[in-house]
Formats: sequence, C-alpha cells, structure tokens
Amino acid sequence: MSRLPTLIRAGLRSNFGLSVLRHRIFKEKKDRWLVPIFGFAALAVLPSIYGLILLIQNIYLALKPLGQERALLTLGIMAGQLFILLFGLYYVISAFYFSRDLEFLIPLPLKPFEVMASKFAVIMINEYLTVMVIVLPVLIGYGVLARGGLSYWTNGLLVYLFLPVIPLAVVSILVVALMRVVNISRKKDALILAGSVLLISVGIGFQFLLGRSSRDGLSGQAMTSFFTSPDSLLNRVGSRFPPSIWATKAIAGGFSASGLLNLALFIGTSLLLFAAILIISEKLFYRGLVGLGEVSGRRRTLSRAQMAQRVSSGLHPVRAIFAREWRIMNRTPIFLLNGTLTVVIVPLVFILMATTGGGRGDAGSILKVMTSAQPLFVILASAGFMVVCGSLNGTSSSAFSREGAQFWISRVIPVAPRDQVAAKFLHSYLVSILGTVAASVVAVAMLHINAAHLAAAAGLSLVAGVLLTALGMIIDLARPLLDWTNPQKAIKQNLNVLFAMCADIGILTALFFAIRFMIRAGLSNGAILAALYVVLVALSGLSYAALVKFAGKRYREIEV
Amino acid sequence: MIELNHVSKSYNKGRIKAVDDLTLTVRPGEIFGFLGPNGAGKTTTIKLMVGLLRPDSGTIAVDGLDVQKDALKCKALTTYVPDYPAVYERLTGLEYLNFIGDVYGVPKAERLDRIGKWLDIFELSSAVTNPIQSYSHGMKQKIVLTAALLPAPRVMVLDEPLVGLDPRAAHSLKELMREHCDQGKTLFFSTHIMEVAEKLCDRIGIINKGRLVACGSMEELKALDRSERSLEAIFLELTEK
Repeated sequence: MSRLPTLIRAGLRSNFGLSVLRHRIFKEKKDRWLVPIFGFAALAVLPSIYGLILLIQNIYLALKPLGQERALLTLGIMAGQLFILLFGLYYVISAFYFSRDLEFLIPLPLKPFEVMASKFAVIMINEYLTVMVIVLPVLIGYGVLARGGLSYWTNGLLVYLFLPVIPLAVVSILVVALMRVVNISRKKDALILAGSVLLISVGIGFQFLLGRSSRDGLSGQAMTSFFTSPDSLLNRVGSRFPPSIWATKAIAGGFSASGLLNLALFIGTSLLLFAAILIISEKLFYRGLVGLGEVSGRRRTLSRAQMAQRVSSGLHPVRAIFAREWRIMNRTPIFLLNGTLTVVIVPLVFILMATTGGGRGDAGSILKVMTSAQPLFVILASAGFMVVCGSLNGTSSSAFSREGAQFWISRVIPVAPRDQVAAKFLHSYLVSILGTVAASVVAVAMLHINAAHLAAAAGLSLVAGVLLTALGMIIDLARPLLDWTNPQKAIKQNLNVLFAMCADIGILTALFFAIRFMIRAGLSNGAILAALYVVLVALSGLSYAALVKFAGKRYREIEV
Repeated sequence: MIELNHVSKSYNKGRIKAVDDLTLTVRPGEIFGFLGPNGAGKTTTIKLMVGLLRPDSGTIAVDGLDVQKDALKCKALTTYVPDYPAVYERLTGLEYLNFIGDVYGVPKAERLDRIGKWLDIFELSSAVTNPIQSYSHGMKQKIVLTAALLPAPRVMVLDEPLVGLDPRAAHSLKELMREHCDQGKTLFFSTHIMEVAEKLCDRIGIINKGRLVACGSMEELKALDRSERSLEAIFLELTEK
C-alpha cells in the first residue's frame, strides 16, 4: 500500500497541473497574471458565501420553533451528495477511462485496485473543493447558531471527510459496469454518449421526484401532526437518500449513543461501498479499460469510382474549416454534450421543470405572470431565455482550445486567420442559433407568445448571439488551452469557458440595467426595442471586427 | 529554396538559447539532412522555418519570401510533417486529406491521382475511410506524409519523418524524397539515422547546442576530418560535450 500515496501525489499534480503551473509561474514567469485573478475570484465569492450564511440563519430561525432545525443539516448534506452524484459522472468517466496517464500506469507493476484507489482519491479531493461552497456554510452556520460543542465539530469534520464516498462509489460502480459493457461494443462513443444522457436524465428525474414529494400531499391535519413531531421534516427530506439522515443525526447527536451509532452507520456504509468498488475494480476495471482508446474500423478499399465520388471537388477554405469544426465537435462525446446538446437540453429541462407539479411549475408561472402584464416584457423575457439557451455554453469559448495539439495544422495551412475565425465563428453561431430555435419552441409552447413578439425576441437573441459568440472566441483566443491530453479539459475544465460565462452574465446584467433605466425614463416600448437593437448591432459589429483583428495578431504569436 | 540568415531563438526570456545565430541555405533540388543530439535545436529550427515559432532575431525566407512578412504565400509553397503525428483523430483519413486538398486548393483531378498513388504506396487504401483514431502510430505518420505530399509543394520540411514507419514505407518515403527533389524542389528533414543521412542527402548540417557546427556534402564533411571516417564518427566528435 506504500505505493498508493505516491500514486495519489502524482495524480493530484497532473490533475491540477501543479507542476506545469509552477513551472509557468515561477520559471517561465508567464502566467503570473493568473495569481491576482484567482485572488480576485476568491474575494468575489465571499459576498455570495455571506449571503448564503444569512439565508441559512433565516431558515434555522424559522425551523427552530417547530423543532425541525436539523432538517437544515440534512438539506445541506443531501444537496452536496446529490451534486456529487450528478456531476461526479463526468469526473469518474474521464478519470477512470479517458486520462492518458492510464497508458503509463497499466504497464507498471500496480494492481488495478491501487490505480482505481488513487484515481478515486484524486476525484475525492476535487469533490471536497466543489461541494465546499454548498456544504461548509451549512455545517459552520448550523454549528455557530446551535452553539455546537467539540462533539459537533468532530463529527462534522468526519462526516465532511466521508461525504463524497457514498455518491462517488455509487457512480463509480455504475460507470465501471457501464464501461465493461461499452468496451465489448464497436460503437463506444455512441454508447458512452447514450449512457451519459441516460444517467443525466435519471439524475434530473430524481430531482423532480424529490421536488414533487416535498410539494404534494400535505394538508390540514397531516400538516399539524407533521410539524408537531420533531425531525419529521428531516426524515421526509432525507427519505430518498438515507445516508443524509445518518449524517445529520451523527453531527447533531454528537457523542451521544445515537450520534455515535449514526456516525458508525455513515462511515461504515462509506467504507463498505469503497471496499466494494475496490473489489469490483480488481475484476472489471482493466477489462473495461484495455483497448478503450482504440477504435476498430472495417477495412474496405474504395474503387476508383467510389474514390472519385468521395474526394471533394474543392470546398472554399471557410467551408472546409467549418466542416472540420462541425465534425470534430459532434464526434467527440464530451464536446457534443457540452456544446450542441446543451442548447437543446437546457430548453428541454425548462419544459420539464415547468410542466411537473400539475402543469404549473414555479418557473413557468412566474414567467407567465411577469409577461402577461407587458408585451415588452414578453419580448425581453423570451429574448433573454433564448440568449441563455443559445449562447451560455462552451462552444465559442473553447473554439481554439478544442484544437489542442492539432493547432499546428491551423498554423501551417495557407488560410488567413480572418477566414479561419470566420469558419469557427459560423460554427459557434450555428450552435447559438440552434439554441435560439429550441428556446423559441419553448416560448411558443409555454408562454403562447404571438408571431410578432417571437420575431422581435428571436431577432434580439440572434444579434446578441453574434456579440456573445465573438466575445467567447476572443476570450479563448487570448489564452487557448492547447496542451490537454483529455478532451474534457478543453471544454469542461477550461477556465476560458468560465471567464466567458462571467463576461456574458456581465453584459446581460448591464443590458438589464440599461433597459430599466430607459423604462424609468419613460421611453416607449418601440423606442426601447429600437435602442436595444441599435446598441446590440453596433456591439456585435464591433466585437466581430475586434475578433478578426485579434486573430491576425494571435495567430502570429501563439507558438506551438 | 530555404534561407536562414542569423536566426536566433531562445526560451525562458533568453536564458535558454535553442537556436544561436544560425545561417543556412538549402538550394532548390536539394535534400538537406539536419542532424544533432536531442535538445540541440533541430525541432526549433524546423518550427521557425514553417512559421510555428517566431525568431528573436534574423530572417527566414522560402523561395525569396519572408516567412513572417509573407506568411500566407510561404505557407502555400511549404508543407510540414511534425515529429509526432498529431492529427484530427475524429476525422477519417479521407476527410483529412480532403480538408488539406481544400485549404491548399488542389484541383479534383490532381487530388484524385495523388491520393490514389500515395495511399497505394503507403498501403493505406483499405483504411482511408476509417477514423484516424483507429490508426496505429505508423499509419498516422503515413496519413500526415500523404497530406504533406498532396499539394505537391515547392518546399517540404519534415521532422524525423522515418520514425514509426515500417521498412517498406521507409524505403518508399526515401524514394519519394528523391523524386521530389529531382523535380527541382527543396526538402529539409531532420533525422537521427546516420545511414539515411549519409546515403540520401545532398548536403548535411550538424547542429549542437543551437549552433551549426558543420555543413556541407558528405565529401566536404569527410574532408573536415582527415581520417575520412563515417558520418557517425564525425557526428560524435563534433557534438562531444
């Protein structure tokens, strides 16, 4: 087992790019600007954490007189574990099966369970950081409010340390089993995609079930008895996921018999599941893994006539690059999931959210009430929705990063950067249009907006799409992430995608305040819309021009 | 023709000199072999020639055109094969070749002839409709070489092109290289295989620690060393620590 710490250390270094980052910051002195940016980002999160603590305080004070305050802990823990259950999937698939270090690890004299355990540990540390924002404020907030003693903090720490184990082990077992099946098939990519979509759907379905169970079936007498028995809310909330109840009772119970029993139950189950994953990995991990990176192809020699048919008679370079972008994006499962599919899934989720709960979901009814008053609001709300669906994805902000090690090809081909970015822009913009269309269908179906309003909204979204697409591409072009070995890093763990989303949200917020200002200034609806169009068209034109100019500079500068 | 004139390139803000005041001319119709130990500056020189890196000082010209100032024109004349065949794994071999044909503007008839010819030579015909992801290292190398030959460029720059090729493919490639230069075109390649350099190249350059330590035909290099030993012996002596 002494090899395990070494493996974990190496895994952490490669996962967070620690060695590379240290080299770049301290030796090459290249990425020094990242240090203040991270510092600033950390500071920017503080107000939201403060807000969360205030919210926790309010919920605690509201539940306390009813004897239900412990449900707060359950909620926090469950939210954290559900989050891991849903998003852990991507981490687990990519860490267990698609990271390149496996090629070096498998030939080493290591047992499958050691490799699996080290990967698991790296994901655990990732998850501590991810759920920190959700779970820690609840744990700390509750502890302070309830004046928790040593027993509270000790058990709280232990629960936090074991928190990711159960959901991650569940996901890992599912994934290892899935991969064992997938690897016997020739259509691995399709199966991985289908499996991911299935698991995401199950996750979303699970959330609806939870949402529904908390809404329906409580009235009058039931409500009274519900609130008079302590912890009934805790049990109800946690009933779908018992470990969160054990964790709550372990923390709140402290060193009492019940507290220790529940702590033992929580840690025991975690250890059991962890052992299960190690045993399963010993049997299935390598079998699902070996050859996964290889794709078999049927050997077929084309006749001269067939070849003549398939050899292109010469596309314009812009069309050729567009076709390349489209094919690579849609044939790489992780790119497809985070780009093209996202713009369809988001409106779909919205429909689901709005239709569950008897056809009058919260989000849908809020929008309806909001928009029934004013045609301007109908247009703006629909346009906002279309923009969110179409442009808030990683397609444009990973347009250059996605090329990775193949970027040398773009640098040596005799195609002007202007034409190359035009093709990339068209591809990202097409995805944005797809999102606008999907959102339009939702707008018509849910809000019953008329054709004129729809046209005005879609127009706004399409113009804004140019601005946001160009902006996303500029952000990615400023510092493209080209040295990835796992495609997940190019889109899902790419800071550029995050930066672009922040910039997009910033622009939308600025537009929101500008509209509010115009409404308060007493401008007519027509004038407000016209002003918006003028501003957006101008900004779109400017941003595209800036993108082209920037590309000319960056294509010369980026060294590969 | 390729002309490097007092070219220097350093990394880490000048602390590591990868290429140091390199002046070199590769004439039309010439196969030029570039030798040097690992880390001597071979790949950096090649990347400078094809515009992937920018020199700190000095100029590089292809057929009289400046690689930095007339970048697009130079790119249209040159093709490049990197030391590692990083290509679009999700495209099929034929899609990749079509892409290269499109961006270099190769007419359909020529495209069809050349693709057919080189796929045959490299024994890739039966795999060309499969995704590149399914290719072995050698097959990837062959598809990159086919793509580099497709535009029938004036200048070819190859970084260790023989690595990963089976003996038959390596033999075919050497013939192709000769054929290319017999048409009056230029070929620059780096290699670690002394025998290949000795037999194939019209002239050879040896680089060590970023500096060109010898350059000339095999006879000229041998004349440097009075004992007239092999290229390997000359290389070892010139690149001694």
